[in-house]
Amino acid sequence: MKKAIRKKRNDVGAFFVFMSPSLFAFICVLIIPMLYGFYLTFTDYRPIADTYSFVGLSNYKAVFTDKEFIGQFMKTLGYVFFSTIFSNAVAFMLAYILTSGLRAQNFLRAGFFTPNLIGGIILGYIWKFIFANVVTNIGKRLNYGPLMTSFLTHPDRAILAMIIVTVWQYAGYFMMIYIAGFVGIPRDVIEAAEIDGATGIKKLFRVTIPLMVPSFIICFFISISRGFMAYDLNLALTDGDPYGSTRLASMHIYQKAFQANQYAAGQAEAIILFIVVAVVSVTQVMLTKRFEVES
Amino acid sequence: MDMGEVYMKRLKLLPLILALFMLAALFSSCSGSSKDKPVKITFFNTSAEVNAMFEEMFRRYNEINPNVVIELIPTGIGEGQQEKLQSLYASGNAPTIMNVDPANVIEYSDKLYEFSPEREKWLELMNDGCADAGTFNGKLQGVAYSVQGYGLLYNKRVIDEVFGEGNFDPNSINTRDSLKAFFEKIEAAGIPATMLHGANWSLGGHYLTLSYACQGPATSDGTGFLDKLKEGSIKIEDDPIWQGYMDTLDLLAEYNFNKADPLVADYNKDLQNFAEGKCATLFMGDWSWTVIKDLEGVDTEYGFIPVPWSNNPEDYGNTQVVMVLPKFMAIDKSNNSKEQVQAAVDFLEWMLTDPEGQEFFLQAGFCMPYKNVRKDIKYNSMTESIAQYAAEGRTINLGCFSYITGDAWTQTGNLMLQYLVKAIDRQQLADGINSYWRSVK
Repeated sequence: MKKAIRKKRNDVGAFFVFMSPSLFAFICVLIIPMLYGFYLTFTDYRPIADTYSFVGLSNYKAVFTDKEFIGQFMKTLGYVFFSTIFSNAVAFMLAYILTSGLRAQNFLRAGFFTPNLIGGIILGYIWKFIFANVVTNIGKRLNYGPLMTSFLTHPDRAILAMIIVTVWQYAGYFMMIYIAGFVGIPRDVIEAAEIDGATGIKKLFRVTIPLMVPSFIICFFISISRGFMAYDLNLALTDGDPYGSTRLASMHIYQKAFQANQYAAGQAEAIILFIVVAVVSVTQVMLTKRFEVES
Repeated sequence: MDMGEVYMKRLKLLPLILALFMLAALFSSCSGSSKDKPVKITFFNTSAEVNAMFEEMFRRYNEINPNVVIELIPTGIGEGQQEKLQSLYASGNAPTIMNVDPANVIEYSDKLYEFSPEREKWLELMNDGCADAGTFNGKLQGVAYSVQGYGLLYNKRVIDEVFGEGNFDPNSINTRDSLKAFFEKIEAAGIPATMLHGANWSLGGHYLTLSYACQGPATSDGTGFLDKLKEGSIKIEDDPIWQGYMDTLDLLAEYNFNKADPLVADYNKDLQNFAEGKCATLFMGDWSWTVIKDLEGVDTEYGFIPVPWSNNPEDYGNTQVVMVLPKFMAIDKSNNSKEQVQAAVDFLEWMLTDPEGQEFFLQAGFCMPYKNVRKDIKYNSMTESIAQYAAEGRTINLGCFSYITGDAWTQTGNLMLQYLVKAIDRQQLADGINSYWRSVK
């Protein structure tokens, strides 16, 4: 009995010794600011003013009556939906092809992964140049109307441009995760399926994909949460242009808090966004977990 | 003894040297009388393109006044400058001097030092009107160091090709019809007549603001107009000046070089096309010179013409171009000690009125609004043109621009861009501008 208590005490002690530095940092830079930010949403705080007073829930009321925010939030939903679908589809296809024993597969893997090593800001500027100059030049050569004007000057096409770049950026990253998934499938299961007469497509859908559900969970989780919080690419590629139509949720929040000087209202929007991201990603994980199987 | 050993020796010496330094620092901060106590002040700079100029200036000032150390807090172009200032204030580390937009001086008014013409005699050296421009809500809290202007820039070489050398008189453009005739003649010569830079700051911040500023020559005329918009007691579509400027915008849009894709808004590319003479005019200001001067194979001679909003040459705005003090120096007194504030005031005096201080600005191409600036200075052709309008008293007072704070020009500018590409009509544009101003408290 005494021994057990002492062991427990030692465990707790060890836990604190090893955990406390990172726990301390985590609390200081994440938990406290978040709680403080939550507290500020009930005030009319502005960084410039010396004092602030409580305003109750009026900031939250303002969020739901802000048509611009709701419109931009809907746009964000569309952006997240399509970029998640396409980046995962492309990534899965790439992974499928690059695990089938191509000659140059290592080189190609590295090549597809590279975009992910470039930061969002640089990536945005590179693609801005491509959309504005390269694509329009091709359009002029081919004399094909839609390509003659920049993708970034039309509201719908600008969102499409964002999705294209996001897919390009993340496909290589997710490809790596899917490759790990492919490689991790036990040989014996595949062989058993082959002996049972499963071929090509059937093998893929009945054996490979069910065994790769964990990879899907991870990739969907990453793409959904990053999609909702996309900011750097948004800033560098479109900066909300044309005329504010491609401002995604994060950018709207930033603009509200720091440029329109309505800090508390922006913070309230951030809290709402946080809740939505949390709910959507947790639901996604729970739903896809049901498809998980043991090999 | 090989290099490795030398290195090791040095490494061992390092802590000792550091310790000595610290000890010395400790003593030096304790000793010395309060009179010649070194003062350290900070300088927050939002004119990111001249960070290096300020650093050199501070070094020179430190040579003359060894007791004053000035530290630059730089910001980058397009970096969140307002946010950085906000965070400096929020953390209690407000800079001593800040070089900021007039809107910031108004925002931080409670925390800023108030200049007084009795105490700061050197303020008399400012050009007429500068003290007024730096006075917000009755308090002189900002001192200017440069003048900028905007209007319709024209490329002299291109215009000379169309009209024959010396035949074009910029003063002949004083109505919308004369501008239209001017454009038609250029187009007839096979050259695109004008260019609009399709960015919200250009159309919202600069173009739309013309319709506020031309309400009258006093700053209060423009701000009074904005106040009425905020109250909702007037609607912008009922204002003939605004309607006039929108008619002129339609004209500019018709002859726009970027007509095929008006919103590309590539600043460098637009300036390059204009400077190479691919179009005759451009709605822009003399700050574009900082980009154009570094381009290869472009023209160097430019001038300004007004943007007329009506067909009456007598109307205010039809024969004038905008002159504006884009940045102000202000001093914080809320986070800084009396000594620091005093050191900052002394430094500003040297920087703005001493020939040595002024030379830094002149070399960088700034047009300084001070009476004692050396007379033989030659500016670039754009600034010369603005200066000539100023000498003739033909400038639009853009004072109300200072009161257009926050996200005003992004939001109204975005509406202007939608109007430019005909995504909304003029009534919808007016509704949008009205509802924006009503939402501002």
